[in-house]
Amino acid sequence: MAAAARNPRKVSASCMGRRRRRVDRGAAVGALPEAIAALSRTLPAGPSPEIFRRAKFDRPEAAPALWQLLFRVLSPLSANGASAPPAQEAQVRVVKSELHSQGYPRRALAQLPEDGSQGSRELLLALAWLLARGPLLERLLAQTRVRLGDEIPLCECEALARPGPPVPRVEADGPVDVRHLQWLMGKLRFQWRKLITSQQEQCALLGKIHSYTRGCHSDRSLGHLSVAETELLRDAEGGQQLLRRLESENVRLEAALHWRRQELVFWRWMDTVLGTCPPEASQPTFVPRIPERGAGEWELVARELQALQEELRGAAEPRRAAWEARVGGWGPEWSAVRRASREAVGLELAALQRAWERGGAAAQPHGPCRLVKSDAGASGGPGLRAAQAIEVLRSREACLEAVLCQLQRQCRQELARLAGALPGLIWILPPGR
Amino acid sequence: MLPADCSRRLVAELRDALDACAERQRQLERSLRVSRRLLRTWEPAETPAPQPTPAPETSGEAPSPESTPSPQDLKELELLTQALEKAVRVRKGISKTGERHKALSLKSGSAATSATTASAPSRASSQASCRVSETKPPRGIQQTVVPARGLPECRLLSVGDRTRMGRGSRATKPGPGPRDQQIPPSAALQAPEAFTLKEKGILLRLPMAYRKAASRNSRLWAQLSSTQTSDSVDAAATAKTQFLQKMQMTSGGPGSGLSAAAMEAEVGLLRTACLLLRRRMEEVLSADPADCMQEYRCLLTLEGLQAITEQCLHRLQELRAAVVGQQLGPWPVGRRPGASLPCGGGTDPIWSPQLLLYSSTQELQTLEALRLRVAMLDQQIHLEKVLMAELLPLVGTQGPHWLALCRAVHSLLCEGGERFLTVLRDEPAD
Repeated sequence: MAAAARNPRKVSASCMGRRRRRVDRGAAVGALPEAIAALSRTLPAGPSPEIFRRAKFDRPEAAPALWQLLFRVLSPLSANGASAPPAQEAQVRVVKSELHSQGYPRRALAQLPEDGSQGSRELLLALAWLLARGPLLERLLAQTRVRLGDEIPLCECEALARPGPPVPRVEADGPVDVRHLQWLMGKLRFQWRKLITSQQEQCALLGKIHSYTRGCHSDRSLGHLSVAETELLRDAEGGQQLLRRLESENVRLEAALHWRRQELVFWRWMDTVLGTCPPEASQPTFVPRIPERGAGEWELVARELQALQEELRGAAEPRRAAWEARVGGWGPEWSAVRRASREAVGLELAALQRAWERGGAAAQPHGPCRLVKSDAGASGGPGLRAAQAIEVLRSREACLEAVLCQLQRQCRQELARLAGALPGLIWILPPGR
Repeated sequence: MLPADCSRRLVAELRDALDACAERQRQLERSLRVSRRLLRTWEPAETPAPQPTPAPETSGEAPSPESTPSPQDLKELELLTQALEKAVRVRKGISKTGERHKALSLKSGSAATSATTASAPSRASSQASCRVSETKPPRGIQQTVVPARGLPECRLLSVGDRTRMGRGSRATKPGPGPRDQQIPPSAALQAPEAFTLKEKGILLRLPMAYRKAASRNSRLWAQLSSTQTSDSVDAAATAKTQFLQKMQMTSGGPGSGLSAAAMEAEVGLLRTACLLLRRRMEEVLSADPADCMQEYRCLLTLEGLQAITEQCLHRLQELRAAVVGQQLGPWPVGRRPGASLPCGGGTDPIWSPQLLLYSSTQELQTLEALRLRVAMLDQQIHLEKVLMAELLPLVGTQGPHWLALCRAVHSLLCEGGERFLTVLRDEPAD
């Protein structure tokens, strides 16, 4: 679309002759290190432009810095923790497996040695691949964002997408009794109750802090201070640290904006880097194998869909038979009405399909929100209202409760069927809720 | 006893769930500690006084045209405050014997003081005059230490006053009230009293450096999030797509291979699909068709749902076939099979947080309770499915202690582990 508009410029540039092109290249030479420097400032543990240049020629001295960079980029949360970064081999393994799971196409990466001594050009390509595929920089910045307000995540996808720090756990190798499972379930229930109580207390405290600091914030739309801001006033040292983190984030944000303006020259350069690589030989196709964890998930979904299909068939077939029996003799005047019904149902089902294919309702609030206590709830203005969020959550709760009930009903039926095979027993169900 | 591999899997799942819960609890406890500490009395800091803030604007006066203090100024200010506090301590030591000395310094300092208080731009004049009597003693010392530093002095005034106001006002009503002028000068030399958020929270002001950094921060985030297209942005996007295509072409592997992450994402979508299809089916089945045409529609809907379900199953089979294995490299570990994610990641992620307005603590508590309940239900549903998959087959095969197992499984699967059924043996009466 817009490409056509840009072509005239390119055509004119080449028409202008060699002198113009030389000037362009001259301008590009200066712009490239600048762009790379901006990119480095945005990334965590970003290496210098010199490393990038060496990586183009696959120099081994550039490799360790790039391994470290990719490790920080691909597993940001383990790097954030206070623990020391893992050993070189572990980092290399994590980088390889993460890139593989995201679908990195080149095999040369998997064949790089684990001591991290080689492969700078391949790593440079990997970094560029990650940058090209999606908003990598924005995502990284958002993950390590300095939280100035009191935040509440409205949807749980962030919490689920981010696996917690791996807990070193001794696996229970031996067989366990079902009572152990019951005990674990009870413990879980109790933990949730405790969690909810603690959360209620935190809400009460937040409410107080927000009320007591009414009118203190310089930003009128916020009105009151958050816990982080009040803490900054109470504890001077902590406040200085917060300020420093905020300022360094600002530096990174500016670098990201700078990068955005200049990245074209980087991509042109990456084309040349790719050009210096020898082409990979085509590999024989491998035997398909599904990851262990993924297999479990796949199994569950397959089973659910099959069960659903059975139920639908069981519901639809008799109805179809009954309908045909009734309507068999009806004349052609009904065909128009029937066609209209078919179209209407078709549209409804298409809309239903869109609901999951497009990734859910766009209207649902997504991501973390900053809590602001405000009396002017009804009036218009920026921001979501808690009442709306509550409604959305209630409907989600109802939906999930329905799902859980349905699953439990299924289990009850199945168990009744199995128990029915044994005569001579009376099953007394516990009193209903 | 359950078989070993089944035990391992189930225990791992339950422990995962417990860990997730424990992690939430940990974060919550951290926040609780901070909040509780803020609501208690603030300890007077051993380190120099907190960043001096401009005087509160609650009096409604026009903000003073102060220049913003440079870091150099702030550092000097901290030193001054330290010196001041030391002087206060020294003063307290000699005040008992040197009342007369104080009176003299009061007089000498008065002229200079009134000049400085007059120049304190952001102070209401009535308040300043009330406070003159109290601030004179330190001011007297101040005069000798620093000759003419209008700006830091008025800052010190505000810092010192903030703490003295606590002592002065008996009422819990926030805001500077009328000074209690019966306070003897010696009392004015005591160390600043502790600060409570409840009484004086409304007087706090954020330091200028922070304000600037924060506003710059939100401005930069807004710029970053804006999806304005321009020539350079479009050109970069094209260049990126071309680069990705070239990468794909130069690589030796089959181009249509599906990455593990992509497959997980699709399986997730199909899980959501199943949920929505089932919900629609239940709606249709529970509806009571009033006339012929509605019945026809119900029938068509059910058949349509059946067709879509078959499509989904077909897609699932395709996914299985499309994932390419690899001989080298471990599979990604630690990926949590998440519960249903109706958000689907969002096509247009918002990088910095929106505002969420609440009007009362009760509303906030309801919101948070619901949020946790939804998370808990998500987890419960996932566990239910896993338990069903592992335990139902065991009940199907009759082994030793079958009855006890059956009873336990019923409780776990059908009652969430909360209630148990009773099994009676039906003895034929003789």
